[in-house]
Amino acid sequence: MIARLLWGFPLALLCMHVNAQAEFSAGEKEAIARHGPWPPALIKDTSNRHSGNPAAVAFGRALFFDPRLSINRNLACVSCHLPGRAWADGQGRSFGSAMLDRNAPTVADARFARWFGRDGGADSLWAHAIRPLTDPLEMGMDAALLAQRVRESKDLAACYQRTFGRALDDEIVMVNLSKALAAFQETIVSGRTAFDAFRDALVRDDAKSMARYPAAAKRGLKIFVGRGNCAVCHFGPTFSNGEFADIGVPFFAAPGRVDAGRHSGIKLVRESPFNLLGRYNDDKTGSNAVATRHLSLEHRHWGEFKVPGLRNVARTAPYMHAGSHATLADVVRHYSELNEERLHADGERILKPLRLNPEESSDLLAFLESLSEKAPLRHIRIHHDNPDCRPHGDAIQRKIRKT
Amino acid sequence: MTDTAAELRAAAPGAALRGAKAIPNPLNCRSIIAVAAACLPCMLPMAAHACSATLEGGKTIDSARHSIAYRTDPVRIAVGKPFAVDLVVCPREAAATIDELRVDAHMPEHRHGMNYKASVKPQGTLGRYRAEGLMFHMPGKWEFLFDVRDAKGVERLKQDYPLK
Repeated sequence: MIARLLWGFPLALLCMHVNAQAEFSAGEKEAIARHGPWPPALIKDTSNRHSGNPAAVAFGRALFFDPRLSINRNLACVSCHLPGRAWADGQGRSFGSAMLDRNAPTVADARFARWFGRDGGADSLWAHAIRPLTDPLEMGMDAALLAQRVRESKDLAACYQRTFGRALDDEIVMVNLSKALAAFQETIVSGRTAFDAFRDALVRDDAKSMARYPAAAKRGLKIFVGRGNCAVCHFGPTFSNGEFADIGVPFFAAPGRVDAGRHSGIKLVRESPFNLLGRYNDDKTGSNAVATRHLSLEHRHWGEFKVPGLRNVARTAPYMHAGSHATLADVVRHYSELNEERLHADGERILKPLRLNPEESSDLLAFLESLSEKAPLRHIRIHHDNPDCRPHGDAIQRKIRKT
Repeated sequence: MTDTAAELRAAAPGAALRGAKAIPNPLNCRSIIAVAAACLPCMLPMAAHACSATLEGGKTIDSARHSIAYRTDPVRIAVGKPFAVDLVVCPREAAATIDELRVDAHMPEHRHGMNYKASVKPQGTLGRYRAEGLMFHMPGKWEFLFDVRDAKGVERLKQDYPLK
C-alpha cells in the first residue's frame, strides 16, 4: 500500500507538471513572470527627505485622518480614501465640498507610481497631496491656513516640531505636511494574492502549488497576457505601466464640458511650483526629474486617463475615472464590445473588441478577482510611534469604523 | 607659368591682385605638392578616425549619407523606465558636417510615439551625442528614429527595437 502511494505521488506531480507545461507557452510564462515578484523592493522617494522616516510616517498617518486639514474641518484624506474600501471611496464621482468630475483612486501601491492622480497632474506623491488640500472643491485650504492650523493646535504644533523643527514659512509648512502624508501613504502596499502564489510557483516550476490556482483563473490569465493584449498597458507587478490611455470611455464631465484627462494633467504638472523641477525636490541632482523635464504634450493626450493598477481591483468598484462601469463584469464587457468609434482618431490602435464568449468573460473575471486580497487591506505597521501624533477627529473615526 | 602656379593663383585671388611677386615660386610649389602627396596616405586614415561610428556593445546603422552607432543606457531597456542613448554620428562625406541630431521612437503597429521628447546634447568628442529622457511605456515593437540634418537636408535612419 505504502509503495503504491509512493509511486502514485510522483506520478500525480508529473501529471500536474505536464498539465501546467501544456497550459502556458514559454512566451506566456515569461509574460506572467513579469507581473511579480510581489511586493517589489520598497525604495525611498528621493524627492522626499522624510520618505521612510518613522516620525514622518506617524505624523502623516495622524494627518491623513485629521479633518482640521479642511477649511470647514469636516473632511480628511480618509473621507475619500477609506481603508475598508481598499483605500478608495466606492463612489462613481467623489464628493468633496461639491461633486467632483472623477472618483478617488486607491492610494494603495501609490508609492510605485510615476504620475499621480487620474490625469497625472503631479509628479510625486507629496506634490499630489497638495492638490486635494488646496482644491476649493475638496479641502479648500491654502498654505497660510494650513500653517495657521498647525500653529494654533497644540498637538499638531508639537508633532510638527518633533518631525520637522519649527513651523516658519507657510509654504514650507504645507510642503512638509504633504511630505508626511506621502511618507504615510508609502506604507500602504497591497498584500499577496492567489495570483502571486501561482506566479511564484510558475517561476520555480512548482507544479503542486500551481495546481491550487483555479482553472478558470488560469484560462483568464491566458487571455490577459495573450489575445486580450491587456498586459501591454496593465504591465508589471502593479499591473500598470504608469502611463495613460484612451480606452473609449466617455470623458464629458457635464454637458458641453470635457474632462481633458492627461492633456490637462501635463499642463498642471508643468505649471506646478511643487513639481520635481522646483525647489522642494529634495534630490538636488534632479535625476529623479528626468520624466518631468521631457514631458511631451500631444493632441492624443486628450481624454487619456491613468492606467490603473489591478491589485485589489475586485474591491475598488465602480470603475473608470468617473465610475462609468459599476462592476468588474461591466469592465470585461466594455473590452469585449469595445466601441472603436469612440476612440480618438489618434488613439491606441491595438485596442480591438475582444468578442469574448460568456465562458471567456467569466474566465477573465475569475483571473481579475484572483488579483484581490482575501483579508482587509491594511498599511504596513510602523513599530516606532510618535506619541504626539494620534489620529484626530471623532466624526472621521466613526466613519472609518463603519467601513 | 606652370599649371601649379595658375592653380595657386586661382586658389588665392588676393595674391593675384597683389602682383606677380605674390605668386609662389614653382619650385616651392612642387615641394609643397610633394610633401602633401607624401602625407596623403597618412591624412586619409586620420580623416576616417576623426569620426568612427562605433560604440562598444552598441549597434550601428548605415545610410547613404551617415553612419550611426548607438548604445542605450542602461543597455537593457525596461518598460516604463527612463533611459538615455549614447551616439556617434559620422557623415560619409569627409567634408560634411552635422547641423542637428534628433532622437525619437515610435510603435508603428500602435501608431503612437513616446510620451516624452528626448533632449540631445553633443558631447566633447566629434560626432558624439547623448540623448536623454526616452521611455518606452509598453512592451512590443518599437522603432528608433534618428533624424540627422546637414546641408543637404534631413536624413532619417531607423532601427527596430523589440521590447519584452
